[in-house]
Amino acid sequence: MRIACPFCGARDSGEFTYLGDASPKRPAAPLDGGAAVEEQFYDYVYLRDNVAGFTREYWYHGGGCRSWLIAERSTTTHEFKSVAAAPGAGAAKTAQAGER
Amino acid sequence: MPDFLWNSQSPLEKAVIAGRHGAGKGTPGVSLSHVGDIALVQVMARRGRNADVAKAAKKLFGTETPAMLKVANGKSATLIWSGPDQFLAFSQQPRSAPSLEQMEEAFAGTASLSNQSDGRCLIRISGPSANDALAKLTSLDLHDSVFPVGAAATTSIDHTAVNFWREADDAGANPAYAMLVFTSFADTLWHLIVDSSLEYGVEVAAIGAGH
Amino acid sequence: MEGSTRTVAGQSHRLGSGGQIDRNAPLNFTFDGKTMTGFAGDTLASALVANGVRLVGRSFKYHRPRGILTAGPEEPNALVELRTGARREANTRATTAELYDGLVAQSQNRWPSLRNDLMSVNSLFSPIFVAGFYYKTFMWPAKFWEALYEPAIRRAAGLGKTAGIADPDHYDKAWAHCDVLVVGGGATGLAAALAAGRAGARVIICDDDSRLGGRLLSDGGEIDGIDALDWLQGAIAELSSLPNVRIMTRTAVFGVYDGGDFGVLERVNDHLPQPPEHQVRQRLWRISAKRSIVGAGAIERPIVFPGNDRPAVMMASAVRTYVNRFAALPGKRIALFVNNDDGWSTVDAIRRAGAEVAAVIDPRGKAAVGDYSGVRVVQGVVSDVGGGVDGVSSVTVNGAGGIQKIEADCLAMSGGWNPNLALSCFHRGKPAWRDDIAAFVPANAPTGMTMAGAANGDLSLGACLRTGHAAGAMAAAEAGAKGKAGNAAKASDEAFAIKPLWHVQVKGKAFVDFQHDVTASDVQLAQREGFESVEHLKRYTTLGMATDQGKTSNVTGLAIMADAVGRSIADTGTTVYRPPYAPVAIGALAGHNRDENFHATRLTPSHHWAAERGAVFVDTGLWKRAQWFPLPGETDWLQSVTREVLAVRNGVGFCDVSTLGKVDVRGADAGTFLDRVYINAFASLAVGKARYGLMLREDGIVMDDGTTSRLAEDHYLMTTTTAKAGPVMQHLEFCRQVLWPELDVQLSSATDQWAQFSIAGPRTRDLLQALVDPSEDMSNEGFPFMGVRTVKLRGGMDARLFRISFSGEMAFEIAVPARYGGAMARNLMIAGEPFGVTPYGTEALGVMRIEKGHVAGPELNGTTTAGDLGLGKMASKKKDFIGRVLSQREALTAPDRQVVVGIRPLDKARRLRSGAHIIPKGGIPGPETDQGYVTSVCFSPTQNQWLGLGLVSHGAERHGEIVKAHDPLRNETYDVELCSPVFYDPEGVRQRA
Repeated sequence: MRIACPFCGARDSGEFTYLGDASPKRPAAPLDGGAAVEEQFYDYVYLRDNVAGFTREYWYHGGGCRSWLIAERSTTTHEFKSVAAAPGAGAAKTAQAGER
Repeated sequence: MPDFLWNSQSPLEKAVIAGRHGAGKGTPGVSLSHVGDIALVQVMARRGRNADVAKAAKKLFGTETPAMLKVANGKSATLIWSGPDQFLAFSQQPRSAPSLEQMEEAFAGTASLSNQSDGRCLIRISGPSANDALAKLTSLDLHDSVFPVGAAATTSIDHTAVNFWREADDAGANPAYAMLVFTSFADTLWHLIVDSSLEYGVEVAAIGAGH
Repeated sequence: MEGSTRTVAGQSHRLGSGGQIDRNAPLNFTFDGKTMTGFAGDTLASALVANGVRLVGRSFKYHRPRGILTAGPEEPNALVELRTGARREANTRATTAELYDGLVAQSQNRWPSLRNDLMSVNSLFSPIFVAGFYYKTFMWPAKFWEALYEPAIRRAAGLGKTAGIADPDHYDKAWAHCDVLVVGGGATGLAAALAAGRAGARVIICDDDSRLGGRLLSDGGEIDGIDALDWLQGAIAELSSLPNVRIMTRTAVFGVYDGGDFGVLERVNDHLPQPPEHQVRQRLWRISAKRSIVGAGAIERPIVFPGNDRPAVMMASAVRTYVNRFAALPGKRIALFVNNDDGWSTVDAIRRAGAEVAAVIDPRGKAAVGDYSGVRVVQGVVSDVGGGVDGVSSVTVNGAGGIQKIEADCLAMSGGWNPNLALSCFHRGKPAWRDDIAAFVPANAPTGMTMAGAANGDLSLGACLRTGHAAGAMAAAEAGAKGKAGNAAKASDEAFAIKPLWHVQVKGKAFVDFQHDVTASDVQLAQREGFESVEHLKRYTTLGMATDQGKTSNVTGLAIMADAVGRSIADTGTTVYRPPYAPVAIGALAGHNRDENFHATRLTPSHHWAAERGAVFVDTGLWKRAQWFPLPGETDWLQSVTREVLAVRNGVGFCDVSTLGKVDVRGADAGTFLDRVYINAFASLAVGKARYGLMLREDGIVMDDGTTSRLAEDHYLMTTTTAKAGPVMQHLEFCRQVLWPELDVQLSSATDQWAQFSIAGPRTRDLLQALVDPSEDMSNEGFPFMGVRTVKLRGGMDARLFRISFSGEMAFEIAVPARYGGAMARNLMIAGEPFGVTPYGTEALGVMRIEKGHVAGPELNGTTTAGDLGLGKMASKKKDFIGRVLSQREALTAPDRQVVVGIRPLDKARRLRSGAHIIPKGGIPGPETDQGYVTSVCFSPTQNQWLGLGLVSHGAERHGEIVKAHDPLRNETYDVELCSPVFYDPEGVRQRA
């Protein structure tokens, strides 16, 4: 399989590492957050939808340009609909914390 | 106390055995060479400072920063695209290239530098069968229409990251490539490249005697 | 006269003329020790046919005599052991093995000889060897299975034997790329490749045969008004002249994977006794194609009737191949049993070869279109085949006129053709049924793949050329080629009429799957026992599970099942198709990566120096590290390691620690970034200082540790453990690019840039004084503990010096650019010579860290928290960091957690073993009493006994308690004392000296 890195072009899948669902966002973590924040982190770290179809997921082009990527991939056909760079790949200036 | 000798040593000093190896006697299918004591600095733009990096590069090297998947030939160094908003400044003649200190000054506040002069090892491969040998090593499509002279890629060989680019064709109009491999992997990758080339006949240049 | 039965000397069944063999190039070979002669261009099978050999092997289960059934890769019967010694290869299909001079082949699965096989008594007991036999018979008692049944069954069953010694040949792997991949070099594939190639597309055309042509080589015909073989020569010449076309023969496409990647096996030198020097035997290709066209043809299927497995019962198309292509006669009086028009074309081949057609038995009762005057036609079916181990003598026919016996020495059969559609189904595609050709055809091929010609159910030559051309032109255009595809070649569309006939339902053993000895009654039994689904049928009877993967049997088997169930074949469906389509040697899958090249190896900057000193190396991940440096006279690793430890503790030693991961962390926000990554503070670290840092995973478990130094306001140098360098880099990039893109941070691996050595021991400062420039202040005040700076060395060298200690001794780490690693090792030896400097390896390093209670890999094992490691107090309470929130979970802070303790056997002579479990004194070993385990052990020269670290419940409060260490592997239980993990210099005086 080849994956279209937005920087490097189509590359052998062996250059990439899969991480998982790109939907969860790291919650804000105030120091006195207590149980509510713990609950949010529990969801962020452990809870995942088991989707049959297209999902947004993180891939890392570690065998190439070391960019983190967000891919739309079908879990049933392995088709990649899109592959985009993570917001902080390269030197892009991002004013706000977290994902775009 | 005696003064100490600080002889530099190539990671390939044991691996490189100059001369003809493998099949055949005529024109070798593959030519291999290694040059040590290079200068190599990774230049990574700081957030939002791409334009400034390009300006500084132009001033220092007389060339724009390399376009995506390309190399740019500067007056004292070759700039090799190595990822988004970053490149490697490579020189085979460290004395004529800007020093690390000069580079730090030129890119101060606009780019982060990482000295890789000892972190990577330069290997060159060319010849009429270079593409056949490389087909065993890289998943890149090296066809002229896809990977012309001046093309660059960061990719993996034997699960090991390499910076790979195509140089001007050799004297026999055969394709010629250069790659920078991690120093600790140089010995193992060299053997892999030689093994992959044996069936075409391979001419190995003495260290430093490459093109 | 053309193709006369006048034979070649010594080859009883070789025609005097015709065929595509070179009679001027005789090749000698042996089969079961008997020397025979064939010709260049032969396969082993065709040479055996030419020599009149009928009996080639014994079947898998019943040891029935078997001959050659087919002439291609689908062969289920004629499997041999090819070559001898280390190159002996079992289960090689004689039909695809090209003949070479000196070839040695042995039949398989027989003892003591092929002709007199004692195991053929199995055949007498065949009523008990029915489907599910093993499941039913060897169920009980369970312990007999391993001891008795399995070894006995393994001796009796199975096919060829492996060589049993390492394969001396080389294999490799390669990538190729194209616009259009054409699978199959027959009429369809040639037409497709010509169209796509002319249009300018980059084309690769593969065929597993030694030459292009496919069925054209066997069936001939007329294309564009000329002989098909002449057209073939022209087509090959044109393809060869196109620089954008690559022809790969002896190359099988065995799988299609996601996104248009194909698994392809090139048998580069299988046709030679051994590969020429420097060449591989086989090469595994991964071909990446924008579009693909599969013109893989079709496979003729047998009819199931009693005796259909007798030697010299052969597929009709195979008879034509042996006669037309190889000028070898499978019989001199050949009967035909066919249910379709294509089978009738065999009559022409037999007649032109001067052999006799005994009869054509066709349930349809009439001749196909064509001139078949003088042929005896019998309407009926074959109900038995007479003969012996050496082949056919007669054919029994049940027909309109009753039962009759027809004399024949060979029976050619054709039950129709199955399109070779496997590649279209490897992505879970299900084929569709077509009544007019009584076969499955491709229905939903993977994206980018076009099935064409016979593989798509278009069985006539004309249709193959038309559909191949159209597919080639379309694929080229879709891949972006702009040129013209030219005109399609033309040939007639011969009729293909068929009346389905799967199974002649009379008494007798009638084989469906020849290789696995599955009969029609096995299929029917499976149905009666409830195994009706095709997937159950397959597993219960093993239909289609042999090395031929049921190429000649699957469809027939499920047709018989459909009949038994009373469903249509379409409704019965097929089993799931999975790659590989053809057998692939493990050697080819491994390629270059075997023995010392199993994986890439990383060498440290001082590797060659260490090797010259006779170091013993150990693999740590990909690295080779010096484990210890034996001296002359030392006979035991422990002796060397103990000497090295004492040398460091009492004097000075050094060790290459370049393998630790090093990351340049730069940028305006580098400090903030590290504050969020580590549990402790780094933004506040002063320039010129180092600090030990611990990082967690987001779930609160420890990820890695290491020392990080601040080299400048915006420049930190992080170190990671050797094992985690890669994963930590990936994690840091995730943090930088995904979690906190607003931070200005840049990361770069500096691991390979530096040769770094730990110098440790009370004489360290003496050694360094000798090495550094006299202007450098090396006093405790001038270079305090945890200080970092660049120093000048004598002889003109700059080095980074870090005052950090893993051993617990007064220690520094010194780093110079990697090219000076060898020089540094030599210079450390010179500078330290007056102080007895001793190089030490990873074992001594490990002993000293255990003596000092430092945690490492065995404790940072993916289950431990900072608190478990005794490092909980490091966690900052003033900032958020990765893993902070979840590390505070109840379960991760529970008081009964297993935490790091020291462990010391009460018997000082006792060797402590890692992995031993800790149970309370008086406790009986078991899950209820288990309180933890020993993680790291060493023989401590300073304590003069074995000791270790462990993870023990409530461990921190139990120092001084006597418990038991229980080692069920060695069946040992002994008393140990739980204690502080810091065995050596608990106050830490030495490292700050």
